[in-house]
Amino acid sequence: MHKYTVLIVEDEKNINEFISKTLVSNGYRTNWAASGKEAVSLATSLCPDVILLDLGLPDIDGMEVIRQVRDWSRCPILVISARTEEEDKVNALDAGADDYLTKPFGTSELLARIRTSLRHSAQNSSNPQQLYQAKGLEIDFLRRIVSLNGQPVHLTPIEYKIVAHLARNSGRVVTYTDVISSVWGPYAENDNKILRVNMANIRRKLEASPAQPAYIFTEVGIGYRMIDDESAVTAHIPEMYGAAHSIQGDGKF
Amino acid sequence: MRSSIKPQLSHDNRSPLRDLAVTAGLLLATAALAVFLFAFVSKSPFNLALFFMIGVITIARHTNGYFYGIFASFFGVIFINCFFTYPYFQINFTLPDYPFMFVCMLALSCVTSAATSNLKQQGVAIRLHEQQMAEAEKETMRANLLRAVSHDLRTPLTSILGSISAMESCGGSYSQEEYQELIHNIYDDANWLLNMVENLLSVTKIQTDGPRFAKTPEIVDEVVEEAVTRLKKRIPTADIVAELPEEILMLPMDAMMIEQVLINLLENAVFHSGSQQPVHLLVEDLGHDVAFHVIDQGKGLSQEQIAHIFDGACPTAPSADGQKGIGIGLSICQTIITAHKGSISAKNREKGAEFLFTLPKEEADA
Repeated sequence: MHKYTVLIVEDEKNINEFISKTLVSNGYRTNWAASGKEAVSLATSLCPDVILLDLGLPDIDGMEVIRQVRDWSRCPILVISARTEEEDKVNALDAGADDYLTKPFGTSELLARIRTSLRHSAQNSSNPQQLYQAKGLEIDFLRRIVSLNGQPVHLTPIEYKIVAHLARNSGRVVTYTDVISSVWGPYAENDNKILRVNMANIRRKLEASPAQPAYIFTEVGIGYRMIDDESAVTAHIPEMYGAAHSIQGDGKF
Repeated sequence: MRSSIKPQLSHDNRSPLRDLAVTAGLLLATAALAVFLFAFVSKSPFNLALFFMIGVITIARHTNGYFYGIFASFFGVIFINCFFTYPYFQINFTLPDYPFMFVCMLALSCVTSAATSNLKQQGVAIRLHEQQMAEAEKETMRANLLRAVSHDLRTPLTSILGSISAMESCGGSYSQEEYQELIHNIYDDANWLLNMVENLLSVTKIQTDGPRFAKTPEIVDEVVEEAVTRLKKRIPTADIVAELPEEILMLPMDAMMIEQVLINLLENAVFHSGSQQPVHLLVEDLGHDVAFHVIDQGKGLSQEQIAHIFDGACPTAPSADGQKGIGIGLSICQTIITAHKGSISAKNREKGAEFLFTLPKEEADA
């Protein structure tokens, strides 16, 4: 069976070791780059399936690595950073990174993010998605219908656009800027207040308890993440089961 | 009419030279206007004297000491006598009302000078006092924090190091279950330390950026949601019921810090209430403020705890069997809420304890 290759760009040897051990035992092949320059050259020579990138590198800025890789490759990039560096994460995502992991993260969270990004990179090349389904929430993209436990949910056109955009990118974080340009167009003012008020309304329609949502999660200061699509679970990605957020709390390493 | 001089007047340490300039300028302006008034409006020396009084009061108000005011009143009396009373261009003190007017202007300038210099001194004293208070408060906060940190961090570190050395030295004699248990303890302690580090980060942010750290309008739902999600990620067994108002609330805040406050309060309720009942998080719109209540169904707080629970020096509850201290987390909550110009308090309910903090909807000093 073909093994997916993951390039780990991380200057801390211990962290690389724990990530690498986890991934190898879950059926991935890993390579390690301890610096930005090494990362760029390894990315070119190996063509990995996923790149895990720590933004704080000793030589060149992690952002520079993203830009250089994005010049020629659509390979998913997962950024690893500390919780306080909100701005860095947003910049990295807007520069072309696919998702991020907040330090410290558990192994299950890591594996889920990698699976999601692999799935999205496979989907880009195939047919567009027609149906989204997770925990009783269904979105029919062709008929533009959202239903919850079989009951139709009435969303305004803007609300539907937001939900649909998040659902198409389910499992990974979508920045405010990304949602705004997809819903209101590329020239819309980059003011996330309207989006967030809309989101609060969507939550009141979809979530049983807005403070403990089941479908759409807030990544404060960054954007939103919708629970992973269950219908997209396919066999060819290792251990393709469970959504990013259904595994909270068991991330022991 | 004297606005050209006014902008400099608010400065404190005036030099005699500057006072002289102010006096000369104001006197010249007053005299010039008086000539104008005399020529076109009123020939009465009493009206002109009144007008000169305005000049004298202004000078006394904006100079240091009595000298300039008294000088100005002398000048005024002589000026009026010389130019505006018959015989013109002569100094003549034999006019009947003259001594009276002279004494009045003198007294007036003395009283004004005394009052203004008194006011100035009071202002300086108040400012100094405020500065000292703020400085002292910061100092106490820092000292409390350091004490709490060194106390609170040692416990989990001891436990981690102990567990690891136990596993290292046992030579494989532990059962699989015993290993699991030790590893689980290490995991819990490390998680707790992580939360502490994030607490400390919030506080450093306040201390380095000062009270003007960046606040952005945040939707209350989202902040509550992330706080609950993050807490449940760390403590999956935590049972939290959140009740949010129907309308959407936006509050200016640093989301990371307020999340930390919510996490600390919720964690405190989960671990220290001694109850398995769910913890309620209630958000309430009070008009000018938004109140966040964290309510547990546990054993409540002692009077001593209520008095000192936020100063970081709180004695842990007597029944707390080796639980990690709650002091540092709550004192950080207070630091954060104070920096947001809100208020935080703790009280007992019929059953259990309630922690309450409020945040203003608009910045009071914006």
